[in-house]
Amino acid sequence: MLIHFERTGGFAGLRTAVTLNTDTLPQDEARKLQEMADAAGFFNLPEKFPLPKRGADYFVYRLTVEKDGRKHTVEVSEPAVPAELRPLFQYLMKHAR
Amino acid sequence: MGKNKLVKIPSSEGIRGARRTQMTDRGPIMGIIPPHMMKELAKRGDQRQRDMALKTLLISERIRGRRDAFAQVYVAMPAGKKCINDYDAKNKEGEEYLPGNAIQDPESSNDMAVKEAYNGASATYDMYHDVFERNSIDDKGMCIISSLHYGEKYNNAFWNGRQMVYGDGDGEFFNRFTISIDVIGHELTHGVTEYEAGLYYSDQSGALNESISDVFGSLLKQRVLNQKADEADWLIGEGLFTSKVNGKALRSMIEPGTAYDDPKLGKDPQPAHMDDYQDMPHSEDNGGVHINSGIPNRAFCVTAIEIGGYAWEKAGKIWYATLSRLKETSDFQDAANKTFQAAGELFGDGSMEQQAVKKGWDTVGISVVPSAMRARAAAGAAAGATE
Repeated sequence: MLIHFERTGGFAGLRTAVTLNTDTLPQDEARKLQEMADAAGFFNLPEKFPLPKRGADYFVYRLTVEKDGRKHTVEVSEPAVPAELRPLFQYLMKHAR
Repeated sequence: MGKNKLVKIPSSEGIRGARRTQMTDRGPIMGIIPPHMMKELAKRGDQRQRDMALKTLLISERIRGRRDAFAQVYVAMPAGKKCINDYDAKNKEGEEYLPGNAIQDPESSNDMAVKEAYNGASATYDMYHDVFERNSIDDKGMCIISSLHYGEKYNNAFWNGRQMVYGDGDGEFFNRFTISIDVIGHELTHGVTEYEAGLYYSDQSGALNESISDVFGSLLKQRVLNQKADEADWLIGEGLFTSKVNGKALRSMIEPGTAYDDPKLGKDPQPAHMDDYQDMPHSEDNGGVHINSGIPNRAFCVTAIEIGGYAWEKAGKIWYATLSRLKETSDFQDAANKTFQAAGELFGDGSMEQQAVKKGWDTVGISVVPSAMRARAAAGAAAGATE
């Protein structure tokens, strides 16, 4: 499984990104990632979530996952991040620079 | 009027309506403070002064059996009242955890973030009230709410459409987000912009939205520090970076693109001129709203320095008067034309202030098109179409 994650926007407007390959990660890390992506039902999530009607300085997330010949990208602004996707985002943010 | 009846006034009147009320009562009622001064205190003083003044007026009105002066104050009170509340998000992340636990007496808290959020919101309220005659975010006196300690090591502050939210920062790159008072003015102004202009938060209208927040955030800092336009640093988020980061702030309004240059964070990407405007996909910072804001930021800066004196007194008033004339899709050109028009109405066509606005936008590569010229062009096009 190949993961590319980036976070932009926020008050600082900084870009933070990380690319991870489960083949090169320690086994337990790879399993954890896989579980989080499955728990979020990632491949069934819409590509784009509706933009928040109000609010400003939210983070903007873009996550692409490639697995078994399938590739899916999700774009979502902070307040619309589904609860089941949040653990995955938080995990990826710990690795992102 | 019945004893306990409230005076209901249309919300559109607000404190401005109340302020226009003619004060006729000149004779001293009680003590050495004349009632007109007491009324001012009841309207504009701090909480303690207002309570004291209102009580004094109430007693004196009862003594003298007159209710007219009291009615005037009572009408003004709800509109002029400052309401600021702080909450602790307890390091939880997600809208469902907002606002969090209410914090008692935030102004005297030992928690720096709580205290800074309270004082910053209070100073922002005062600036909008005293300089722009605006009563809070919605101009109807809504309570200003801030949640602190949002998320874990959270590197952001935002406005969620109802309230402000502040993270603690990761301590590696970012300090707590309340550390810089202009950040607080910036966030609160997003609320004001939402009520006045409703600028779409993407691409150029979004960058304009961002710039307006930087403008009033910086004006707040300058007002608190009592700085004139040429004395201000025009930095946004000074102190927000830790000492490990090579940068003086997050943005520079006066020299966009020069705020930081760090091996890990990269270089400040803000353009200072339309020639360097960056078209970005929506998935990146909503189309670069925090990037291209550098352009109108610099236009304001040049205008304010050109006019001279305190930036909030003239340039700030021009920009504030423009807010309600913008629409959801307004771009930089629209803002340029409308600030020019507002300057003409406030200070006269051809005035030094209006010329300064033109110079500000010229500097960033935007030529103001005066409304008279736009009308002629439209009339010309219509005439051409009928020929």
